[in-house]
Amino acid sequence: MTFYSPVVTNAKEIAGHEKLHLFEYVEDEKQYQLKRYLEHGGYAAWKTVLGKMKPEEVIEEVKKSGLRGRGGAGFPTGMKWSFVPKDSPKVRYLLCNADESEPGTCKDRVLMERDPHVVIEGMAIGAYAIGCHLMFCYIRGEFHHSIERIEKAMEEAYSKGHLGKNIYGSGYDLEMIVHTGAGAYMCGEETGLINSIEGEKGMARIRPPFPAIEGLWECPTIVNNVESLAAVPHIINRGADWYRSMGTEKSAGTKLFSLSGHINRPGNYEVELGFSLQKLIYDANYGNGISDGKKLKAVIPGGVSTPFLTPDKVDVPLDYESLTEAGSMLGSGGVIVLHEDTCIVWTILKLIKFFRHESCGKCTPCREGTGWLEQIIQKIEDGRGGPDDLEKLDSICGNILGRTICPLGDAAVMPIQSTLKHWRDEWQYHIEHKKCLVNQNFGF
Amino acid sequence: MAEAVKEKILAVATITCTIDGQQITVPKGTSVFYAARQIGIVIPAFCNHDKLKPVGACRMCYVEIEKMPKLQVSCATTATDGMVVSTNSQQVREGRKAVIEFTLINHPLDCPTCDKGGECDLQDLTFSHGYDDSRFGFNKMRFIEEEKRDTFDDLKIGPEIVLNRNRCILCYKCVRANKEAFGEYDIGAFERGDLTEINATPGGEVSNPFSGNLVEICPVGALTNSDWRYKIRVWLTKTVPSICNFSGSGTNITFYKEDHKNFVYRVTARCNDAIDDGWLSDITRYGYQIVNSESRLKTPLIKKGGKQVKASWDQALAVIKKHMGEIKDQSGGVCIGGLISPSLDNASLYSFSKLFRTIFKSNNIDFRGDYRYLPSVTDSPFTIAASQPFSIADIEKSDVIITFGTDLIREHHNEYLKIRRAVNFFEATAYSVNPYAVKTADIAKSEMVYSPGTDELVINGICLAAIEKKLVDSSAAAKLKPKISKLSLSELTKQTGLGKEQFKELAEAISSAKKITFIVGEIVARSLERDKICAALSNLNKLFGVQDKGQLAVLSRYANSKGAQKLGLSATPYEIVKAELKKIWGEYPDCQPRNTDSMINLMKKEEIKGFITVGTNPMRLYPDRGFASEGLEHVDFLVACDMFETETTELADVVLPLCSWAEYDGDYINLEGKVQTGKQAIKPKYEAKAAFEIMELIASQSGVKLFENEQSRNEEIEQLLSLNSVLPWPDDFLEIDYDKKSSRDDYPVPLFICDDPHHSGHLTEKSPSLLNFSDSAYVELSKGMAAKIGVADGEPVRVESPVGKIVVPAKISRVLNSDVAIIPRNFSSTQTTSLLMRKKRVDSVKLTRVEE
Amino acid sequence: MILSEKTVKKINDKLSKYPKAKGMILPALTLAYKQLGYVDNEIYIEISEIINVPQLEIAEAASFYTMFPKKPRGKYLLQVCNNISCALLGADAMVDRLEEKLAIKRGETTDDGLFTLISVECLGSCCTAPMIQINDDFHENLTRQKLDELLEGLKNGK
Ligand SMILES: Cc1cc2nc3c(=O)[nH]c(=O)nc-3n(C[C@H](O)[C@H](O)[C@H](O)COP(=O)(O)O)c2cc1C
Ligand code: SF4
Ligand code: SF4
Ligand code: FES
Ligand code: FES
Repeated sequence: MTFYSPVVTNAKEIAGHEKLHLFEYVEDEKQYQLKRYLEHGGYAAWKTVLGKMKPEEVIEEVKKSGLRGRGGAGFPTGMKWSFVPKDSPKVRYLLCNADESEPGTCKDRVLMERDPHVVIEGMAIGAYAIGCHLMFCYIRGEFHHSIERIEKAMEEAYSKGHLGKNIYGSGYDLEMIVHTGAGAYMCGEETGLINSIEGEKGMARIRPPFPAIEGLWECPTIVNNVESLAAVPHIINRGADWYRSMGTEKSAGTKLFSLSGHINRPGNYEVELGFSLQKLIYDANYGNGISDGKKLKAVIPGGVSTPFLTPDKVDVPLDYESLTEAGSMLGSGGVIVLHEDTCIVWTILKLIKFFRHESCGKCTPCREGTGWLEQIIQKIEDGRGGPDDLEKLDSICGNILGRTICPLGDAAVMPIQSTLKHWRDEWQYHIEHKKCLVNQNFGF
Repeated sequence: MAEAVKEKILAVATITCTIDGQQITVPKGTSVFYAARQIGIVIPAFCNHDKLKPVGACRMCYVEIEKMPKLQVSCATTATDGMVVSTNSQQVREGRKAVIEFTLINHPLDCPTCDKGGECDLQDLTFSHGYDDSRFGFNKMRFIEEEKRDTFDDLKIGPEIVLNRNRCILCYKCVRANKEAFGEYDIGAFERGDLTEINATPGGEVSNPFSGNLVEICPVGALTNSDWRYKIRVWLTKTVPSICNFSGSGTNITFYKEDHKNFVYRVTARCNDAIDDGWLSDITRYGYQIVNSESRLKTPLIKKGGKQVKASWDQALAVIKKHMGEIKDQSGGVCIGGLISPSLDNASLYSFSKLFRTIFKSNNIDFRGDYRYLPSVTDSPFTIAASQPFSIADIEKSDVIITFGTDLIREHHNEYLKIRRAVNFFEATAYSVNPYAVKTADIAKSEMVYSPGTDELVINGICLAAIEKKLVDSSAAAKLKPKISKLSLSELTKQTGLGKEQFKELAEAISSAKKITFIVGEIVARSLERDKICAALSNLNKLFGVQDKGQLAVLSRYANSKGAQKLGLSATPYEIVKAELKKIWGEYPDCQPRNTDSMINLMKKEEIKGFITVGTNPMRLYPDRGFASEGLEHVDFLVACDMFETETTELADVVLPLCSWAEYDGDYINLEGKVQTGKQAIKPKYEAKAAFEIMELIASQSGVKLFENEQSRNEEIEQLLSLNSVLPWPDDFLEIDYDKKSSRDDYPVPLFICDDPHHSGHLTEKSPSLLNFSDSAYVELSKGMAAKIGVADGEPVRVESPVGKIVVPAKISRVLNSDVAIIPRNFSSTQTTSLLMRKKRVDSVKLTRVEE
Repeated sequence: MILSEKTVKKINDKLSKYPKAKGMILPALTLAYKQLGYVDNEIYIEISEIINVPQLEIAEAASFYTMFPKKPRGKYLLQVCNNISCALLGADAMVDRLEEKLAIKRGETTDDGLFTLISVECLGSCCTAPMIQINDDFHENLTRQKLDELLEGLKNGK
C-alpha cells in the first residue's frame, strides 16, 4: 500500500465508467505523478483552453455544464467566475479552497493525495477564465501529505511548462503558491480564507463587497473548492453537454460523498447527483448497511453544518433541491450515519463544542451564543437540565440564525434546531431522567 | 464607509430610499446607518465609528429592509434606490434585544464600580433596548492574570491605559482605530471566539502618540486611563468647548471641569471634520494637566539680594516700572526687547506688540524663540512660503500628497492623520521626502531620504527631472533651467543621495496630480537656509503650477503662529500690517527692527538692557543654548512671565505667573488662518494673570492705557485680521546658488533636535501623564548607527558637538535607517540645545559609547 | 537568532513570491514551528524583522490558529480527533485509553518528553475513523490493537 490513506473509494467499480470521472484513477498508485497523469490524458484540457479558447468561452462552457460549487454552498461555478469585473485594472486571484475541515468530509484530501495534478489543472483553467496570473492553493495545515503531493505536483508542472511563464507558447503566465493553514475551521469560509492568506486572523468579512469584486488584497478573487475545480478539466475535455447528462436538471454532474459513522463500509464514493441516499447507505457497493446490524437513527447528510435527517427521510435523492426539500442540505457531501444507540444530546454537544471552538469571535451572536448553547447543552448532558432549557435553546438558536456575519452561525444552530424538532422527546427525556434515552456505548 | 466616501461621490450620484416612512435622498454609497442619521434617526450601534471602515461585528444596528428576509446591519448595508427600511419594527427590536442579551452574558453587571458608568454605550443601550432580567444562569467568563492583577482585574497595558477584559464587548474599535487611523501596532485582539481578548503587543505596551483615543472610543469601561479613572463621576463635571494649545491646527477639544475645586478633569475630542476628525494626540489629551499642576508659579517673584522671593503684583509691577523706566529714560526704548510665545491668544500677542511699539517705542519683538538665526526681512521666500493658504480638509481631497522636510509625528498630528485617511479611504498617493526616515512614511508610496542639508537641491532635482522628462511647460522650463543648472541632475543625485528615478517619480507625481497637497515642515523652517529652500520651492510651485491645482505651504507649528504673523508680532511685520498699525496707532517706531537672534546678540553688547519674555523659554528652546544664555545673563533687567519656573525665569529679576489657556477666553488662529475661540474652563489658578492683562498693567505703570476697553482692543485686532496676509510669490524664477557642503569628520553625525512625539515645547513636561510616556532625553539612532558605536538600546551615549556635550541613553529606532541622531528638547533635565550652533546649517555630533 | 539560517532562507525564498509581505505571516510561522516545535514572542520579533511586518500582526495571527503552541511539546504529538465521525467509533474511549497508558491527561506531556496528548477537531479522515495524527502522519482505521502496537513502536524508537 503506497497510499497515505487507506480510505475506501469506489474507483474500481467505476473503472471505465463513461460518466464517473473524478475517481477514475484514484486507485492508481502512480496517478499522482505527472507521467502517469499525462498518460491518462492529463493537461489536455489546459492545452485546449490555452490554445483554442477565450476566457469568456471557458466561463460559458462551465456555466453550460451546470457545475455547482462542491464546497458547501452549491453556487454555480461558471456564474461565480463571470462576476469578476471584466474591465477592472486590478489583478485577479483564484484560490483553491483545500481547507477541508467540515466534520464528516474527507473527499478533497483523496483527490489531493492521489490525483493532485487534476486539482492544479482545474485551478489553472479557472485562473485563465478570470484572467488570474497568480493562484493559491490553501491547504489545511494538518494535511501534510496533501501539501507534499500538491507541492510536488506543482514543481513537476512548473518544470514541464504546465505552469510558469508563457505556458505552451501561448503567452499566458501563471504562477502558483501553496499556502497552508494552521488549524482553524473558519479558514474554509471564503472570506476567512482570504484573510488568512493576507496574514490576518481567519475572521470573516462582511459582504458585500463580494470577493469576486473585492477579495484578496482588495482585488477580484474567486474561491473554489478542490472538487469543483477538479471537475473542470473533465468538462473541458468532454464538453458541457456530457457533464449535464449526469445528475439532475438543477444538480448536474457527479459528486463525491464521504460516508462515515455507523456504517459497514465507510468510504468516499463518487455518484451522480440525484443518487439515492438510501442506496448509498445500504447498497453493498457503497455503505453496505448500518454497522452491527443496528437500526438507523439519523443521518447528517452534508457535514455537521447541515440539519439531521430522520430515517423516514432517507429515501431521498442526493441533489441540492431534494435535500433542501427534505429539510436539510447537500452541504459538503459528508454523510454521517448515526445508529439507534446514539444519544442525540451527546451528538449535539459534540457539534456545538466544535462550533464554539471554531467561532472566529467577530460577531456577537455567534461568539457569545455558541458558548451559551454549549453550556446549556452540557448541563443537559450532565443531567442537570432544567424545564425551560429547551425553550431557551430554541430562542437562542433563533437569535443566532440569520443574524451573523458568516454562515458559521447558521451552521452551528441548524443541526440543533433540527434535533429539537425531530427528537424533542429525547431531549425532554434527558432533562427529566438526567440520562440518555438510549444505551450508548461507543467502545474502542 | 458612507462618511468616508462622502466627499468623493458627492458630485456623482444620489439615491432615494425610505426610512421609517420618510423619504431621503443621499449620495450613492451612503450606508443605511448614515442615511437614517441624516433624518435624525439614530440607530443604536457599538462597533460602528464615523471615521473607520464598518465591520458589522456587534450586530446592534439591525434594520429590516423590505424584500430581505433577514435583519441587516445598517452600518454595513449601502442604501439603494427604492429601498424601504424600518429601523424600529418588532423584528428589529427583538434582534437588538438579543444582541444586548448576548453582549451581557459575559459582561460584569457591576456598573456602580465601573469608571465608565454614566457615559457607557452598553449601559445606555441596555436601558433603552435590552431586557430587564437575565436568562443566563452560568458563571461569567473572567480573565484573570495573577501576576498583573489589579483592582477589578484591571490590567495596565500602557503608561496611561488600563484594560479590563471582562468589560470588553469586542467591538474591535480600539484595534481598528489604532491600525487604520493611526498606523500603530501596539494593541491587538488575540485568540479567537469567546476567548478573544484585547491586549498590548506581547512584551510591549500601548504607548503610541494617539493612544488616548482608544480610551475615548471604547464604548464600555474596558479601556480607561489613569488620567481620569475613579477621580470623579462624569455627571459631576461640566463641559466647556475649547481648542488645543499645543497644536498648530487648533484641535477642537472639550474640557471637563468642576467648579468648586476649580479643576480640569480631562480633555476629550470635540470632533471637527475640517480639522481633527475627532482624534486627539496624547499631547492634546493629556497636556491640559499642566493647568492643574501644583508646581505652577503661584505669585510674582522679585529678585532680592540675588534670590527670587515672593511678592505681590503691586510690588512686582513697581519694580518693573522702576527698572524699565530707568532703561527707557537713560538709554531709550530701543534698549528694551521682548519675546512672546506664539501659543498665546490674539489679545495677548497684540497687547504685547502695542506695549512695545507705542509705549517703549521699540521694535525689538519676536515670537519665534526657537528658530535659529532668522534674518530680519519682511518678505523673504520663507516668509512668503509660510504665509500661503492651507486647508486641512483639502488634504483628504488630494490625490497626491507630498510631505517635505517634516517629521509629521513630532510636528503636525492632525495633518498626519488626515494624510493617512486620504491614503486609506480615498486612494491618495503620499510621498515622504525627508533628511531622515520618519515614522509617518509608512503610508507613503515612496519614502525618499536625502542627505541632511541638501533640501533645496532635492527641490531643484525634482524641477530638473521634470524639465528633462518634458513634464512641464517648455517656456517655463527654458527660463528656470539656467537658474538651477549649476549642478546637473547627476551631480544632484550625488549630493542629495537620491536617485534620478526618485526625482523622476516625484516630478511625475506632481505633474500628474489632479489635486495636490505639498506640506513643508519644521525641518525646513528651522534650517539656517530656510530662505534658499523656500526659493527653490517658489520655483517648483511656479514650474508645476502647484497652487493652481492644490496647496503648498510651510505649516505653522504653534497654536497661534498665524495670529502672531497677522498681528505683526515679528520685528519685521508684513508691509500692509505695518501700514495698518501705523494707521491704528497713529505712530510706529522707526528704530531698527531686531528679531530674536539680533536681540540676543545685542544683549551681549549691552545694547539691550531690559527684556521681557512671555510664555516662552529661550534658554531651553533657542537653538544655541550657549549663545542664548550668554545674552540673557547679560541683560540688566529681565522680566519673565510663565506658568512655571523655567531656565529663563531662573535668570529673571521679576517673574510673573501666567494664566494657562484654560483660564480665560482667547482667540487663536490655526495654521489655516481659521480663528477659533478657546473658552475659559476654570478661574485663574493662584495669582496668575493672562498676558494681555499683564501688558495692560505694565502700561498702566506709565500712566497710560493700551486700550480703552476690551471692545476697542478687539476692534483693532479685527482690523488687522481682515487684511490679506498671503504674500505673493516672486514673479520670476529665482537663482539658487550652491555652496559646497563642508563636512567635519570629527563630528560626523547630523543632529536634529526636535519634539518628542509625546511632548511639545517646554511646558508639557509638567503633565504627569505625558511624563509617563517619555520623561527624559535620549538619542534616537538607527540600528546601524547604534551598532557602529557599539551601544544597545538604553545604554548611555556621549553626544558631543563643537560647543556642547551631553550623555543620554540610546533609543534604537525601528524607523531610522541612516546615520543621524535625533534628540528631544522637551526636558529640563538635559539641556540638549547646548549642542546646537546658531549659524550652522546642519548640526553634527560625535557619538561615543560611555564605558561604565 | 533562534531561527536557523535554513529557516530564514526558506522564509526569504517564499517572501519573494508573495505580492504583499504580510501574506507571509502564516508561512513564516509554519516554517518557524517546523524548526522549533513552538513559536513565541521572540520568534514573532524575528519574523517581524525578516518580513518587515509589525510584531503585533504576527502575534495576533499566531494566537488565532491552533497549530502554533507557545511551548515545545513532546517528541510525538498525539492528536486524537474527537469530532463526531470519530467519536461515533469510540474516539472518546481511545483518548481515555491513551490517558491511561501514558499516565497523562489530554493537554499534557509525559515526563520523559516523549508524548504530548491532545484532542482535536475533525482532521478530514472521517471515513477511516477513529484516527490519530502523530506528528505529520495520520494513522487511520484504528483498533485497540493497532493503537497499542503503534504506541509500543514509538516508545521503542521505531
Ligand atoms: C464555516 C465554513 C467553513 C467552510 N469550510 C469549507 C471548506 O473547508 N472547504 C470548502 O471548499 N468550502 C468551505 N466552505 C465554503 C466556502 O465558504 C465557499 O463557499 C466555497 O469554498 C466556495 O467554493 P465552491 O463554490 O467551489 O463550493 C466553508 C464555509 C463556511 C461558512
Ligand atoms: S458567524 Fe461566527 S465565525 Fe462567522 S463571523 Fe460571526 S463569529 Fe465569526
Ligand atoms: S476594549 Fe473597548 S474598544 Fe476595544 S474591543 Fe473592547 S470594547 Fe471595543
Ligand atoms: S454597528 Fe453595525 S454591526 Fe456594529
Ligand atoms: S471526525 Fe474525526 S477525522 Fe473527521
